[in-house]
Amino acid sequence: MSQPRRSPHDSYETETTDHQTETETILLKHLPLNPDLPSPLQRDAHLQFLIRNLIQGFPSRYISQDASQPWLLYWTLQSFSAMGVALDPNNKQKAIDTIMAWQHPDGGFGGGPGQAAHLLPTYAAARLGGGWDQIDRRKMYKFFVSLKQPDGAFLVAHHAEVDVRGTYCLLVTVHLLNMLTPELLEGIPGFVMSCQTYEGGFSSASQPYFSPEPEGPPTLLDFPRPPLGEAHGGYTFCSLASWTMLQPYLALQKPSLQRPSLNFKTLLRWLVQMQGSEIELGGFRGRTNKLVDGCYSWWVGGCFALLSSLGIVGAHGRDDKHEYATAHQEDEAWDDIDDSLWDRAALQRYILCAGQHPAGGLRDKPPKPADSYHTLYCLAGLSSAQHNVFLSSTRQDAIVRCWKTPPGRSRSFKSETTHEQLRQACFSHSLSWTEEEGTSRILGAQNNRMNATHPVFNLTMTHTEGIMAHFYQQTIPSRPKKT
Amino acid sequence: MNILVEEEKPFSQRPEWADVVPLEQYENVAPLAPIFYTDEYKDATNYFRGIVKSGEMSPRVLELTENIIRQNPGHYSAWQYRYKTLMALKSPLDDELQLMDELAIKHLKTYQVWHHRKLLVQQTRNPGPELEFIANSLQVDMKNYHTWSYRQWILAYFNDDALWSHELEFVESMLESDVRNNSAWHHRFFVAFQSGVRSGDEDRDAIVRRELAFLQAFVLPYSLPQPPLGTPPEVDSQLPCVAAVEFMADIHEAAGGGDLVKATELWKSLANEHDTIRKRYWEYRIAESLKT
Repeated sequence: MSQPRRSPHDSYETETTDHQTETETILLKHLPLNPDLPSPLQRDAHLQFLIRNLIQGFPSRYISQDASQPWLLYWTLQSFSAMGVALDPNNKQKAIDTIMAWQHPDGGFGGGPGQAAHLLPTYAAARLGGGWDQIDRRKMYKFFVSLKQPDGAFLVAHHAEVDVRGTYCLLVTVHLLNMLTPELLEGIPGFVMSCQTYEGGFSSASQPYFSPEPEGPPTLLDFPRPPLGEAHGGYTFCSLASWTMLQPYLALQKPSLQRPSLNFKTLLRWLVQMQGSEIELGGFRGRTNKLVDGCYSWWVGGCFALLSSLGIVGAHGRDDKHEYATAHQEDEAWDDIDDSLWDRAALQRYILCAGQHPAGGLRDKPPKPADSYHTLYCLAGLSSAQHNVFLSSTRQDAIVRCWKTPPGRSRSFKSETTHEQLRQACFSHSLSWTEEEGTSRILGAQNNRMNATHPVFNLTMTHTEGIMAHFYQQTIPSRPKKT
Repeated sequence: MNILVEEEKPFSQRPEWADVVPLEQYENVAPLAPIFYTDEYKDATNYFRGIVKSGEMSPRVLELTENIIRQNPGHYSAWQYRYKTLMALKSPLDDELQLMDELAIKHLKTYQVWHHRKLLVQQTRNPGPELEFIANSLQVDMKNYHTWSYRQWILAYFNDDALWSHELEFVESMLESDVRNNSAWHHRFFVAFQSGVRSGDEDRDAIVRRELAFLQAFVLPYSLPQPPLGTPPEVDSQLPCVAAVEFMADIHEAAGGGDLVKATELWKSLANEHDTIRKRYWEYRIAESLKT
């Protein structure tokens, strides 16, 4: 592989190009001799890294994460899950006991025992497997309502900031725990839309303006409604995943209301532009003119599956593609089956060759140390690059056919019907993500293969089904056996 | 104000805190993935849990929460409780802002430091000094996301002509430091196009022309350095510029008709030579343009 070109600086160097040049010099050293034979995934080393954190605990510099204990546990456990490893029953129980100690008496979960309830720890806690019946959903719902703002946004905690991460965390939680109501979702689409910037990606939040009304509450203005902050990978994922989750809700709105939409053309362009060049080993950056970082493997790399589900990109992920795929040999050229618009092989190369820390765990970029956050998002990104996960209408139909009106509910009240309609639609939508058989592309050895992950929730499909079957009290039909 | 710096005793050894019952974090649970706290941190947070339980809002609570946020600026519960205490005590918020100025220098990247300022400024209604503070912070970390979005919030929320009046000048100075700073460009777009119409800016076409003129005057000299008079011209730009090729293709695509052939040629050059990592995307652009 001849040395790839350096990014140009036109003999006019600034801090941006200094950092870029420095990074490229380091990344060059990690270029594999053969692009199709990247460094193998060091599963055992990564597992040991994670186990050390789990059992021995975190060193004192992690005091900075004391308000993020649910995150530390989630990043660790989800990484295990991504690598197909389960906790033993003893540690599983310990995990449940630990999580339940974070539940706030007034609803929701905090970053640690006795800490104020906050949307992000609530998301991290709710998705962990177990302790489900100890979660007070009634109080949690009240907590969510107390955070709702007139512009459709949510504060992440009382007296705390608004940002779209809160929206994403809340939406995932209410989907998994069967807490969806139209009242809670009202206004969210408008807020998410308002976070899209001129570049195409999304910002953290937007600024609402209101016009006073003679009677009743003030009206939210469509303009101005400026996004606050430039297009950013993390916020873009949260916005796009939220938008994806809102599709069933939007479909249930009265047809006379104009269906709002995002600018998918600029979004696609921005996402594609975030991929680094060959000298950056194809890793993703999070913002224009900033450096590539392993975690954006998921935040940006993971957006393409979402875009596809919204009907935007290519024809990849159709149910009938199954026949096409299985008719071909596994060693068919990559290009024949992969109609993604980004370079999936290159991202895998970045993660394997630059993202892995030699002592275990994964990282932002060399020579940074590994941490559990980057470990998860590099592995999740690796999974998105390897597998096509798409919304299967066949699967959705199968799930809807098995839907039974929950016991104790009556169909005579309109609000009950609306609630049930919404929940059924979101339930089946959430569970119809399917790994497209025969289209996985693993760079390097088969041992590099990760489990496929749910593109919205970042959980395995099995785990998602487990949680939702429990909270919705529904039977989920088993998936057809793989041929 | 203490002039002498002395080792602070833990709260557990201070007689004036003897009436507070400190609470351990985990009572009956041996948690998975524990953090190895310092004694100092454990002590302070045990007392924090104690006063949260009793609901105390007093000057000593301000001392305690300051202690915690210095050790862990991400402790959002301590920040939340501190804010509620400041409000309950009707504390002088300018003093609090001064303390925040000091903390921000050390802890720029936490959300909470910036959010706390936002809460305070909504009370003081004095946003002017914030712009200067933000400008100073940006000298240290010129792309800090929270800093820039806080600046946009200040401008949008107060929406005061006096605040807006020097923004373009400010952005220009940031771009002079680093013309590639995307946060600064985003801010410029926000000021010019996304923050409503201020008096004097009603002619929107004039605004567009102004921005184009700015680009010509400001950006082009940086991409084609001017050699001193009399010397042979040095073309130091590493051409072709991928973004420029893309822009040309966009223009041809928008023109339509026979221009689509030119757009296709440019996209092909990107796909095959100049921007190969995005090959599939450029080929997609070709395919899409043929559909119209």
